[in-house]
Amino acid sequence: MSSSLGESWAAENIESAVSLISQMAEELAFVVPDRDSGLLAINALTMDLEQLAESDAPTAFVAGVKVLRVWIDAILDGPVSFSADMIEKLGNWHGWMSSLLVALDQDVATPALPADWSALLSGAQEAPATASKGSPSAELAPVAQPEETEPAASFVLDIDSDQELLREFFSESLELLQDIEQGVLVLEEKPGDKNTINSIFRAFHTFKGGAGFLHLAALGELAHELETLLDAVRKGELSINREIIESILAGGDALKLFTREIGDQLDGINPGAPISVPTQHILKRVRAALRGEAPAPAYSAAVAVAKAAEPVPPAVVAEVPAAAPAPVLAPDPVVPVAAPVSVVAAPLAVAQPVSIPQPQLVQVPVAKPAAPAVAAAESAGAAESPAKASREGGGSTGGFVKLDTEKLDSLVNLVGELVIAQSMVVQNPDVQSINSLQLLRCLRQLSRVTTELQRNAMSLRMVPIRNLFQKMGRLVRDLGVSQNKQVQLVLEGEDTELDRNIVEKMGDPLIHMIRNSVDHGLEGPDERVANGKPAVGTVRLSASHQRGGIVIRIQDDGRGLNTDRILAKAVERGLVRPNAGLSESEIHALIFLPGFSTAEAITDLSGRGVGMDVVLGNIESLRGKVEIESVFGKGTTFTILLPLTLAIIDGLLVAVGEDRYIIPTLSVRESFRLRPGMVSTVHERGEMVTVRGKQTPLLRLGRFLGATSKTTQAEDGIIVVVESGDTARGLLVDELIGKQEVVIKSLGPAFEHQNLAAGGAVLGDGWVALILDVDTLVKLPIENRSSVIHSQTGTHS
Amino acid sequence: MNTSTAASGHSSTHGLAGRYLTFSLGRDSYGVPVLNVREIIRLCPITPVPRMPAYVKGVINLRGTVIAVLDLRAKFEMPTVATGDRNCIIVVQIQGAGGGNTLMGAIVDAVDEVVNLAAGDIEPTPDFGGSPDIQYMLGVATIRGGVKTLLNIEKIFQEDGSLVLAPVSKPASSIEA
Repeated sequence: MSSSLGESWAAENIESAVSLISQMAEELAFVVPDRDSGLLAINALTMDLEQLAESDAPTAFVAGVKVLRVWIDAILDGPVSFSADMIEKLGNWHGWMSSLLVALDQDVATPALPADWSALLSGAQEAPATASKGSPSAELAPVAQPEETEPAASFVLDIDSDQELLREFFSESLELLQDIEQGVLVLEEKPGDKNTINSIFRAFHTFKGGAGFLHLAALGELAHELETLLDAVRKGELSINREIIESILAGGDALKLFTREIGDQLDGINPGAPISVPTQHILKRVRAALRGEAPAPAYSAAVAVAKAAEPVPPAVVAEVPAAAPAPVLAPDPVVPVAAPVSVVAAPLAVAQPVSIPQPQLVQVPVAKPAAPAVAAAESAGAAESPAKASREGGGSTGGFVKLDTEKLDSLVNLVGELVIAQSMVVQNPDVQSINSLQLLRCLRQLSRVTTELQRNAMSLRMVPIRNLFQKMGRLVRDLGVSQNKQVQLVLEGEDTELDRNIVEKMGDPLIHMIRNSVDHGLEGPDERVANGKPAVGTVRLSASHQRGGIVIRIQDDGRGLNTDRILAKAVERGLVRPNAGLSESEIHALIFLPGFSTAEAITDLSGRGVGMDVVLGNIESLRGKVEIESVFGKGTTFTILLPLTLAIIDGLLVAVGEDRYIIPTLSVRESFRLRPGMVSTVHERGEMVTVRGKQTPLLRLGRFLGATSKTTQAEDGIIVVVESGDTARGLLVDELIGKQEVVIKSLGPAFEHQNLAAGGAVLGDGWVALILDVDTLVKLPIENRSSVIHSQTGTHS
Repeated sequence: MNTSTAASGHSSTHGLAGRYLTFSLGRDSYGVPVLNVREIIRLCPITPVPRMPAYVKGVINLRGTVIAVLDLRAKFEMPTVATGDRNCIIVVQIQGAGGGNTLMGAIVDAVDEVVNLAAGDIEPTPDFGGSPDIQYMLGVATIRGGVKTLLNIEKIFQEDGSLVLAPVSKPASSIEA
């Protein structure tokens, strides 16, 4: 039961434990002496913890949960109510468990189980399993082995503080290095771009500062030299040339390797092992560049293009200019090689024809006493750094705070609850009966503040897509090099903001689609020139807001989709009948079928069996869709339509009889009050309403939903015209209540067989309103009349 | 101390002895394993979901989570009666088809108590001549002269249609009378 096989506990286990413990805290807060309220809930949570303890939990956790079980059993077997003493014990237990989980999360020594608790366990039938070898948490687990006697609190704290600093440095550095890489790519295009040079300079500067705080001298030195180099460029003492760019890339890559190693050690891989990064040769190279010794010609876009045509082994871009006696390592940023530094020695040796002085290894132990604070103001939130790279240098950078995403989510949830509580107060009849201007003013103020707070909280989830787009820059560069294609990536609308969760989940689909565009879409330079196109292919990646959603477009000027070949392939695979008579767009859509791939050669990057069907699945899971536009010989455009956020939709709240429903505003075309003569009955086709001269089928929502609609005459009601795809339908409702943003909640498995409600939303008064699935309503057969519907068979029988 | 074994395992295979939450529907008394119970809340306004079976009462807002609520009377095809003060919603946790846990509410007439049943208190479900719905019953327990039908609440909630339970409670009413 308690075999701690791994070195530490899986992060998701810790996460679920933390969530259970916080729920436990909630329940404990309401426990009253000599009452049983909350007992069943606490018991249920205990059971969840027990279940969790079975998944390779550290011994200390298992022991703690067992203690809890002993107590809960005692309560259930005995008085079935809490004594004051027990409440205190449970409180202590909660505190202990919380600190245990923190310790587990950060992979430091776990706090000891209080002695009187252990006594409980030794009295119990099941003796705690003894610690298994090799596990740090198990070794320190107090029940197992008292040999590590350091007092728990100080122990944790000490390492804790260092850990925090290193973590901060780690995530900050990743961003900085990405900025640097991105900047270099821009410099290749526009060597004189002041903003970019400034931003790279600042990034190295910040890196140097962070390294200095942590006494990572070797890194600081390298960052310093690079900074000096950039400074010279900034002041116009040097002009950007190829050698400088390569030096920056090489330096950035060395820093990246080091940073990754820190990350690995923080994650518990070889903690405490010395980290070595060969920096000496890079330093030399940078210094040489600084003295202007690099003989490379002035760098221009044309050179970049020519260079891209050289055959180079994939993944490792090894461009070794004659005068520069050092290789450039460029590990693919998309498929991170979790390379411990020792492995890197191999490609070094291979890629290096010129004899160079033995790289000097710098040893830096990771755990070091560090200065108490790191100026993190320069850095931005983890994967979502806003328009930093393009910001003007020198000026104030606004300041950002890193935030745990879990905290953010819980904040957003709490604000949602607050808004509901606020409107409950305002709408309370007792409160409303108080005749006081003063109170009215206060309530209004409260409403205003909560609304503002909610808007702000919601906006916290929104992040620019910039970061995701920038990753594609390096991807396209590496793809072009490995395939001897000349590609330029044009980014547009990087500042478009969308929900953090969507940005995270769009990474893989985007990478895949870009790979497809470069692999299959773009032709080689010769073929392009032969077809009268510029030798350099263009992939355009853009994002924009459109109709309350987000549109991401991937556009290439390659050979376009070959409908004949797609169709032939689909027929060959038995996906369509030979004489199906498909339209062009239907044929294009075939590429989304599972197992479909027309690539002639499987490249190292695409064609790994992950097809466009997976891409489509990913996008659909985000409630998005993909459209294809392709002209054979001219290029292909993929248009991805996504909702702004996963959690919230704009809804039109309507009343139907006693009930209220939400219609997603995105699907509403218009709404109007019926005038006499607008409704006509078409023989055998049900009722129609004339909307802008067009006959649109009418659906009496009240009758359809089986509600006792107040509107017997269509003329008393309101028509909401909804559309899905090309089809529209007029819904007759009793009343429009208003427009509001609602948080979508799943209805759960009990309703997964029905397709009438897409979800639920908690309204201001705590009432749940159903969100109607417009697609279902629009696609209902027109003849569908109330008499058929009233039977209560449900939709899933 | 070994009671924890009963509590930590899954209800299906372990012995039936353990703690049960008892509640009543009409004159009948039932028990569900405490294992399944998350909490008990008072009857609150329920948003109906159209075009669902009659026993699916709708959804409620449980502190920000939307959960489905079933009417056990309707589920067991018992006559509907007006709801009163004693009506409760027992929130149970059941394993979804996909493996995740979900919460669902069951409306009952009244919640009685938590009882600890020893194996000796529980008899297997009597055979009522091949009634198909026996699988929804874990057994029958006699406590303090009353008979309680122990329900497999997960099975009941996973079943789509309504159910007719075998009339085990008849002897109970005669004893009580």
